[in-house]
Amino acid sequence: MEPDGSILDSIGQEIIGVMSPVSICMFLVVLLVYSLYNPATATTIRTAANLVYMESPTDSTAQKLEGSLLNAAVFIILIALVTFLLVFLYYYKFTKFLVHYTRFSAFAVFSSMGGSVLLSFIQHFNFPVDVVTFCVLHFNFTIVGTLCVLSSGGPIVLKQSYMVALGIIVAAWFTKLPEWTTWVLLVALAIYDLVAVLAPGGPLKLLVELAASRDEELPALIYEARPTVDMGRSGVRGSSLGLLVGGVTGNNSGSNGGAVELRVMLRNNNNNHNNNNNWDAESIINVLENESSEIEEVREDVGESSPLIGGGSLMERLSTQSERTNNGGSRENESQGEDMAGTGLRGLKLGLGDFVFYSVLVGRAAMYDLMTVYACYLVIISGLGCTLILLAVCRHALPALPISITLGILFYFLTRLLMEPFVVGTSTSLVMF
Amino acid sequence: MENSVKGDGLMVPKNLQPFKPFSRSNTRSTAFESTGIGYTLLALGPSLSLFIAVIAKKPFLILTLLSSTLVWLISLIVLSGLWRAFLPFKTGSLWPCTLIILTSVAFQEALRPLFWKIYKRLEDILDAFADRVSKPRLFITDKMQIALAGGMGHGVAHAVFFCLSLLTPAFGPGTYYVEKCSQMSFFLVSAVIALAFVTIHTLSMVIAFNGYAEGNKVDQYFVPAVHLIAAMLTLVNLAQGGCIIGIPLLYIMALLTMGHCGKMVWRRLTEIRSRQGSSF
Repeated sequence: MEPDGSILDSIGQEIIGVMSPVSICMFLVVLLVYSLYNPATATTIRTAANLVYMESPTDSTAQKLEGSLLNAAVFIILIALVTFLLVFLYYYKFTKFLVHYTRFSAFAVFSSMGGSVLLSFIQHFNFPVDVVTFCVLHFNFTIVGTLCVLSSGGPIVLKQSYMVALGIIVAAWFTKLPEWTTWVLLVALAIYDLVAVLAPGGPLKLLVELAASRDEELPALIYEARPTVDMGRSGVRGSSLGLLVGGVTGNNSGSNGGAVELRVMLRNNNNNHNNNNNWDAESIINVLENESSEIEEVREDVGESSPLIGGGSLMERLSTQSERTNNGGSRENESQGEDMAGTGLRGLKLGLGDFVFYSVLVGRAAMYDLMTVYACYLVIISGLGCTLILLAVCRHALPALPISITLGILFYFLTRLLMEPFVVGTSTSLVMF
Repeated sequence: MENSVKGDGLMVPKNLQPFKPFSRSNTRSTAFESTGIGYTLLALGPSLSLFIAVIAKKPFLILTLLSSTLVWLISLIVLSGLWRAFLPFKTGSLWPCTLIILTSVAFQEALRPLFWKIYKRLEDILDAFADRVSKPRLFITDKMQIALAGGMGHGVAHAVFFCLSLLTPAFGPGTYYVEKCSQMSFFLVSAVIALAFVTIHTLSMVIAFNGYAEGNKVDQYFVPAVHLIAAMLTLVNLAQGGCIIGIPLLYIMALLTMGHCGKMVWRRLTEIRSRQGSSF
């Protein structure tokens, strides 16, 4: 006798909808790192991230630290410059140019970086495949990917898979960076993310405000998680997270008018046209309150900095969606999603750069040991969960990188220095608890 | 990457690349990977089935599992932080190991009531939420499922950190043996022990939550006792050939936990059902 309609069935769905692709991306990057990484033949690539200093294992610690800091500083400056360029272009309405440039960079990533990853895969495992077949298949893969990621047509699963593939390819490329540079770069990126989104003059904050004032979507590469609860089965929509958090933060007085709750965005059919522009930016969620009706609007601006090609070009995107939903009268606030069943339910969005840098952290942890991989994975996922909950509480733009990256790095070093000798020591004597 | 000595009596190179003398052949590499996957499934197979059958369907349970695993990871880190100053110790000696086990089990069992308190708060929030969307409150099966997910988080954390993270060489050629237990390969022994512990941890949480909910002292003390005895039993493995005795005894504890949990769940469910039946 299954108790039907239990709230446990549908709570937390949108969080899982975002966490599963992140987990899949991290898992595949770890697999890739494990199968392709060979310390003897690892060649360091020259990217924007190590323009200044090429690390070699024979340098002293001070030299490595200094060099990595320089590298990170240069990288962050490059990213900041490109972000401001983006703000400039968007301000002067060069949106078409941005769209086409995004398409071009997606194409470049899939073809050149993706091709290189596939080639090393084939080399490592001795797949019997000839050049012609490989070229045809790879060409197909690239073209379908380029078409998929930026258009709203086509099955959502395909788009999601290509987004994850994009994240995997870029992350796999970044794991080739030397170790010290990677860690310092991650820290620097987390700090930059924090500043760019929250500080008053930050470029991403400017982008959010621009997009908000124009009421349109920015071009960016964003992963979109659609909730999969079928309509009409239970009255609770994917907005349960917001309601839950709203309840926690003391809105128990029962007054509905002033209550601000995070709602799932509902699309209006009219708003689909400039949907073709997707970039990366920081993870931001804005919540607005609509005084006229009892339904609130949710904006989710997601984006992140993701250097796509060796030049370190930064794509940022904030997608602003302000949707208006009309309450169907007799229904309660919470179940308005069912009235809009026809227009399609949107879920949470996460910028592609978040995928990339989480996976870079886990990939770098994978180069040490499996234990650090698990620890970092758990901590990053919980950081992501915390960020999502904070979003529901804070109700303004928030970056997705800082919490997860900080916790990830902290736990990496804690696990490596503290936990591993202890646990390995006990378990190799077969003493466990 | 560094080669390093982990523990006493066992040298495990990190990130061992599979050595392929015949690079054109693929069959040898699949044999190596399959043994590694085999050991993984031995330790985590039942958990995986349980996950797919029960937990994967409800997103909230997945979140509970992840947070539970995180909590136990933090507990392991704290414990290793406490004991770091005393490492490396002679792992063959009895007294340091006993002390370590006593402190670790005590710490982890002290965390369980905390877990329960957090769960109570969560239950209140969920019930309030259910009232606001006018759906029924949490059923007893829901509560048990949450407890199960929490326990499974503990079990998975144990299996991952004590067994799986050492399995990297198992994906390559060759195998390792522990001196004290040379009948089976190290990976097999550790996977088997991990399976027993996963069972114990998963079911302990269900028993403990039920004990706290009902105020049943037997259940409340059953769980720490079982955990302590099971951990002490692994000390038997320190003796030469001790694992032949230690592992079956460990499985007896696991079966005992399973039996007790099953009995308790059955009792509660029939109680609730009969109460529901009589109220009509």
